[in-house]
Amino acid sequence: MAAIEVEDLRYSYGDVEAVKGISFEVAPGEVLGFLGPNGAGKSTTIKMLTGQLRPKGGRATVLGFDVTADDPQMQARIGVCFEEKNLYLNMTGKENLEFFASLYGIKDPDALGVLRRVGLADRAKDRVGQYSKGMRQRMMISRAFINTPDVLFLDEPTDGLDPVTSAAIRTTIREEADRGAAVLLTTHDMFEADQLSDRVAFINDGEIAALDTAENLKLRYGTRSVKLRLRDGDGVREEVLPLDHASSARLADLAGSPDLLTIHTEEASLETVFIQLTGRGLAG
Amino acid sequence: MSRRVSRPTIIGALLRKELTAYSRDLVYLGLTIALLILVPLLFRFLPDSVDETITLAVSPSLETLVADARTELEAGGATPEQLAALDELDLSSGEGLALIEIGDADQLAGVVEGSLEVWRTSEGEVIIRDPEGEPEPPDAELVSAGIGIAFPEGFITDVMAGEPGVAVTVYTDAGVPAEVRGAMTSFVRELANQFAGRELPVGLPAEDEIVLGEDRAGDQVTLRERMRPLLLFMILLMETFSLASLVSTEVLQRTVTAVLVTPARVVDFLVAKATFGTVLSLGQALVVLALIGGVTAQNWSLLLATLLVGALMFTGVAMFVGSAGKDFMTQLFLAMLVTVPLLIPAFAVLLPGSAAPWVQAIPTYPVIDVLVGATVYGATWSESAGSLAVATAWLVVLFGLGWVTLKRKVESL
Repeated sequence: MAAIEVEDLRYSYGDVEAVKGISFEVAPGEVLGFLGPNGAGKSTTIKMLTGQLRPKGGRATVLGFDVTADDPQMQARIGVCFEEKNLYLNMTGKENLEFFASLYGIKDPDALGVLRRVGLADRAKDRVGQYSKGMRQRMMISRAFINTPDVLFLDEPTDGLDPVTSAAIRTTIREEADRGAAVLLTTHDMFEADQLSDRVAFINDGEIAALDTAENLKLRYGTRSVKLRLRDGDGVREEVLPLDHASSARLADLAGSPDLLTIHTEEASLETVFIQLTGRGLAG
Repeated sequence: MSRRVSRPTIIGALLRKELTAYSRDLVYLGLTIALLILVPLLFRFLPDSVDETITLAVSPSLETLVADARTELEAGGATPEQLAALDELDLSSGEGLALIEIGDADQLAGVVEGSLEVWRTSEGEVIIRDPEGEPEPPDAELVSAGIGIAFPEGFITDVMAGEPGVAVTVYTDAGVPAEVRGAMTSFVRELANQFAGRELPVGLPAEDEIVLGEDRAGDQVTLRERMRPLLLFMILLMETFSLASLVSTEVLQRTVTAVLVTPARVVDFLVAKATFGTVLSLGQALVVLALIGGVTAQNWSLLLATLLVGALMFTGVAMFVGSAGKDFMTQLFLAMLVTVPLLIPAFAVLLPGSAAPWVQAIPTYPVIDVLVGATVYGATWSESAGSLAVATAWLVVLFGLGWVTLKRKVESL
């Protein structure tokens, strides 16, 4: 059974339709990356699935619980990392985790162990208000892990972080998925989606434009070609050849030529596919 | 796998978090500690007695007045009865009346007006001082006289002879109530009647006054007693700001959103906030009440119930203010806008007489009314039932308003 099942889910803010009938599933142990620009409907979808917003149409279940039923048993088994860093700044990192653990009925939470996973064990007794932006983000992730959830909703978990911190956070997310947690990850970072997600859903203007593995999307919507750079007198010229039977002779000729400087495969990036599908970039 | 968490467990966790957050807020923690120390201290410094003595300045001295009259009467061949009337005249100051005898009528006017000062030595000597040019006399205390009576020369003999048009000048300070001025005029008339040997045309009953209710004569309500309910009320009010701050911080930083994606429900959040706010303000009010006194075996339950109603009322106000403000400044503005009118009845009890109808219409008035009744006048449950019922009705309105506003705010985040 899928951990998350969504069918024709809809939501609107007044007259503005934010989510326009999306459908998808996330299996236990799977990371589904929601890739789309700001305002595409990613966060609204997470809010509906975590019980913060009541859907205006369609249906969705998380761990078999109807999200409209407002069942605390569902919340007891999910972990949420919000885009905004809504931590108790006057409390220490350890106190934050222990408080949230107590809301889940966990009597002796391993707060230090969880903080250790995100590299914050040595700052456990400092107030969160004294943490840097990156540390607060790691704290957000650790809070989502405190109840060992079966489903993780991560809204832009590495937004604005340095590459090292981002990589560390991606590693912990992957560990959670390997443990068996279903992960729904929203991001507008195509590199993150590509690296972390088992499948990627392109969401744009409240609709899912495509949903598949990153590899399949790139293969389906990208072009198979190679780019060659060749010496041309005193200058350099480029030549792009499709990877098909018709080009094989020409490619063989050039490969043996002394004028060949470099040769690269021309894979489509997720961003290229996204632009191709939606007509807009991921940045905005 | 099923994970059930009981409501008491969740509310308990939320309450512990509230306590931690409150204890880390140095502003409100400091304010709470300061109030717990300063309010009882302030109370101790307030006057615990009422000086009801009316100081009356007269000119010339009554002794001079009588002596002159005696000389004139003896020279004119007065009857023994007339001379005896002078002997029977009690020149000493009566209970509640202190006489200052000043020789000169102009000085008397200056004393009442305030341009001159009256000092009295330990031997009873009266010294008139011009504060603009003369030094303060040693071993003497300043006496304030707001009323002065200037008797004309030959007042007693003229009155005894039934001369028409005898004029006595009564000077009063602008701050002397009209009732006291009238009493002084009557006093002079009665004095004249006494000298003239005329009896009043009506007989007074044996009991010349009937006091309805508790007779506080000689035991008037002191400023300290009047301030007790006001101070208790101030404690409740100040905690409104603390709770409003805790609520608004939670709303503005959206930590409540993180709480509500756990098994905690909106109602748990509201119950925890309301419980913490009520316990905080009620607890402090009870501590202060214990320190400033006023609790008796008869009124403790009534006081406890009234303070609980007040604490819940202000918790509702705090939830409204904390959730309605979009930022710190609007929250502060709203807090002032809402709490200042609620404070008016507490100040109204400091003034004599009944509160104006519009003051009585303010939700906090019945709370203050019961607090004053219970601590000052020994009011019982049955005597306070009406006010307590009105206070409870207002409590339902204000608490309901705060609850609904905060619930809507939280659900809209």
